[in-house]
Amino acid sequence: MYAYIIRRVLQMIPTILGVILLVFFLFNWVGGDPAYVLAGKISSAEQIANIRKQLGVDQPYYVQLWIFVKQVLTADFGASWSTNEAVSHILATRLGPSLTVLLPWLAISTLISIGLALAVAYVRGSLTDRAVMIVCTVGLSISILVYIIVFQYVFAYKLGWFPVQGWGDSLRENLFVYSSLPILILLVVSIAPDLRLFRTFVLDEINQDYVRTGRAKGLSENRIMWLHVLRNASIPIITQVMATLPGLLIGAFLVERFFSIPGIGREVILAVERSDFPVIKAITVYVAVATMVFNLLADLMYKAVDPRVQLK
Amino acid sequence: MRRGLLFAALLCAASSVALAADPGKVIRYVFPAAETGFDPAGGQDLYSGTIEQAIFDRLLTYDYLARPAKIVPGAAEALPQVSDDGRTYTFRIRKGIYFTPDPAFNGTRRELVAEDFVYSLKRLIDPKLRSPWAWLVEGKIVGLDELAAAAAKSGRFDYDRKIPGLEAVDRYTLRIRLKQTDYNLPFVLAHEPTSAVAREVIEKYADESGRAMSNPVGTGPYMLKDWVRASKIVLEANPGYRGFVWDFQPGSDPDDARIVKEMKGKKMPQVGRVEISIIEEDQARLLAFERGEIDIMNMEAPLAPNVLDGDKLKPEFVKRGVRLSRFVDPEITYHFWNMQDPVVGGLSKEKIALRRAMGMAFSLDDEIRIVRNGQAIEAQYPIPPGVVGHDPGYRTSIRYDPAAANALLDRFGYLKGADGFRTLPDGKPLVIKYTSRPDTLGRQQDELWAKAFALLGIRMEVVKLRFPDQIKAEKECKIMMRSAAWIADYPDGDNFMQLLYSKNIHQNNNACATIPEYDRLYERSARLPASSPERDRLYHEMTKIIEAYAPWRLDISRYRNMLTQPQVLGYKKHPILHAEWMYIDVKSGKGAGGGEGNAGGGD
Repeated sequence: MYAYIIRRVLQMIPTILGVILLVFFLFNWVGGDPAYVLAGKISSAEQIANIRKQLGVDQPYYVQLWIFVKQVLTADFGASWSTNEAVSHILATRLGPSLTVLLPWLAISTLISIGLALAVAYVRGSLTDRAVMIVCTVGLSISILVYIIVFQYVFAYKLGWFPVQGWGDSLRENLFVYSSLPILILLVVSIAPDLRLFRTFVLDEINQDYVRTGRAKGLSENRIMWLHVLRNASIPIITQVMATLPGLLIGAFLVERFFSIPGIGREVILAVERSDFPVIKAITVYVAVATMVFNLLADLMYKAVDPRVQLK
Repeated sequence: MRRGLLFAALLCAASSVALAADPGKVIRYVFPAAETGFDPAGGQDLYSGTIEQAIFDRLLTYDYLARPAKIVPGAAEALPQVSDDGRTYTFRIRKGIYFTPDPAFNGTRRELVAEDFVYSLKRLIDPKLRSPWAWLVEGKIVGLDELAAAAAKSGRFDYDRKIPGLEAVDRYTLRIRLKQTDYNLPFVLAHEPTSAVAREVIEKYADESGRAMSNPVGTGPYMLKDWVRASKIVLEANPGYRGFVWDFQPGSDPDDARIVKEMKGKKMPQVGRVEISIIEEDQARLLAFERGEIDIMNMEAPLAPNVLDGDKLKPEFVKRGVRLSRFVDPEITYHFWNMQDPVVGGLSKEKIALRRAMGMAFSLDDEIRIVRNGQAIEAQYPIPPGVVGHDPGYRTSIRYDPAAANALLDRFGYLKGADGFRTLPDGKPLVIKYTSRPDTLGRQQDELWAKAFALLGIRMEVVKLRFPDQIKAEKECKIMMRSAAWIADYPDGDNFMQLLYSKNIHQNNNACATIPEYDRLYERSARLPASSPERDRLYHEMTKIIEAYAPWRLDISRYRNMLTQPQVLGYKKHPILHAEWMYIDVKSGKGAGGGEGNAGGGD
């Protein structure tokens, strides 16, 4: 097991190098020269040269690339080019608001999707099953943008159940006042596709021989569904949930933007708009690392839920 | 611990000064884009500048009601004494202005003095700071450029070195000596980048680049209480602020009388707390305003159909007592052609004809109606309304006339081929490359220009560039044609007329134009006082030159529509001052949220 983990960690190194190269060349190819933005409305060639020098973008590409590698190794990405705020501080302060919305959403969404998937799979082919699937198909055909605009208008503006936007100082206020509507929207958007997917996983299991055997032995339907079927369906479900987790690091930018939540998603958009390479670099690298770490965790969890799985 | 107690004692002492601001009076404001930070020398966006206006003092400021904007003393006792040649300005700084208490002052009460302005102006040109506002002082103040050059060589800016151009004659007297006559200096000294900062504060909080973006400590009416970047900014009234009695004179605007009635004689500031939310999305901003979560908001053009009938508020808003403060922003948009480009540039007759024809085929009516939702006016003059030097009676000679434009092209040899497209007079293909940004506005402008070029039978190619690439290409004179905008840094015509001065090529003369007649007139105008009849005459001549040589097609100036809730008193949008909170009041108590009884009226 430990050998497997070490091997997987070592395999991350070439992946990270690939990410570094990709981000570096993409930014230098399409990102534009930040000096021209930072120089202001009226600037001379000397001032632009001075800014390029201070940012280090006048250095040869191999030097800039090496600086990038060192930043990854030390986890110190310097300061934002547009605000001079330390990138580490940006990430530390923006992660909290994003997680305040995304963690409850992910937990609730996963639980509801699994529960509903088991329920509709159990009554597969019935009117209820077909009705739920139709609703899911319609639901996932609608853009999140539409949900945001409609829900914000109806539930916040017209009915006044939630504030239109905002963010407070306490976790309690943020979680129960400002995050409620964004979480509701994310749930509506995510449950439909997850439910369809999880239902398929459950249906794959429900027709297996061990289910028939369990019933023949007189096990209750609840025990069959919640213990045996769910356990065997959990490997693809874990894969799906783990694949979602790195997304927590980049936030839900549309929701954050519409509801003025000071999260990472908004920061990513700002950084792109401002050609703020240090922020873009840091977030990209962290998301890449998180993706690999969560993939590894998913593999370890397979083993935990199904001892037959061999980690090689 | 002892220092903390001393700091608290100082704050209490400052609070004991008779303060008008009521902590219960709160203004909730909104920015549509994120700020960057609050160092006057470092921030360059409008929103950071707005906060700086509230926190810091400048030597000069603007009269709240006067239009066009009128300079009045700020931290200075009076307007400066100006020498006859317009090269030496002497300011007397008010005594008894204090910075808000900060640990950087080691427990002492820190008074604003002339040296603070010397330091603050020097900072603008410190190469390490890479201030976007260096141009405000560069090439103007005796000895300052030399100081910057020495710093560039040594890597250290010597703030202690005396220079003849910036002299603290005594504790409260500042003398500025200019290299040449410049009557625009008062406008520069009313601009927030020239705000006074304390050297101790900057040295305590500065980052590697020498900027203190997160620790604004000023002498202005407000101080930073809370800041969640790109989300929320909270200001509280500075308890030590000197204050003033509201006594502005009404202008010709009918709203002014109401404002005077609401505000006259009040000790300012009245508003004790300003809460600013950053809401990027139009819908969220408007809904928040309609729900009463925001008191004052700028209604951008895309929202206009939801709120306005023509230039008036819709009845449902009037019924709720919402007010509209509407004026034409001190800005112009214009379409320019690169005067160095081999296809469209140059001063020969056929090139001028080509540019004029393109300008005459572009429909400003379509742009105002479709792109701007009716929230703009046609720009007739290169200096927009509300800016000194604007001529409201001037009418441009360039009109939308596709037939005349086609005739002009025919006459100068741009003939149509068998494929229906025109060629250059030498028979080579004629293709106009129009550069725009990959956003909604860019796409709309592409379509309008495509329509214009279709009317002329000219092939058009759209070049999409992101903002940094666009600025770079523009400064290198590599863009054939683009639509641009310029908003006043200060409300004087010079800020606009310098845009075509040849010495500003590679800076902000984005048409890369060298028109000798224009240059001569500009240099003469730059030596004349603002609003002098002679300067106005020269500006007329320069405008005629722009129309004759057509490096630009003047486009539009946008309306700014500010919405206020009924409880907001005395609000009038100022074209340059964006932090109007120190000039306004809020109805306090129950029912402040307004209702039918407030429709369009006052108290």
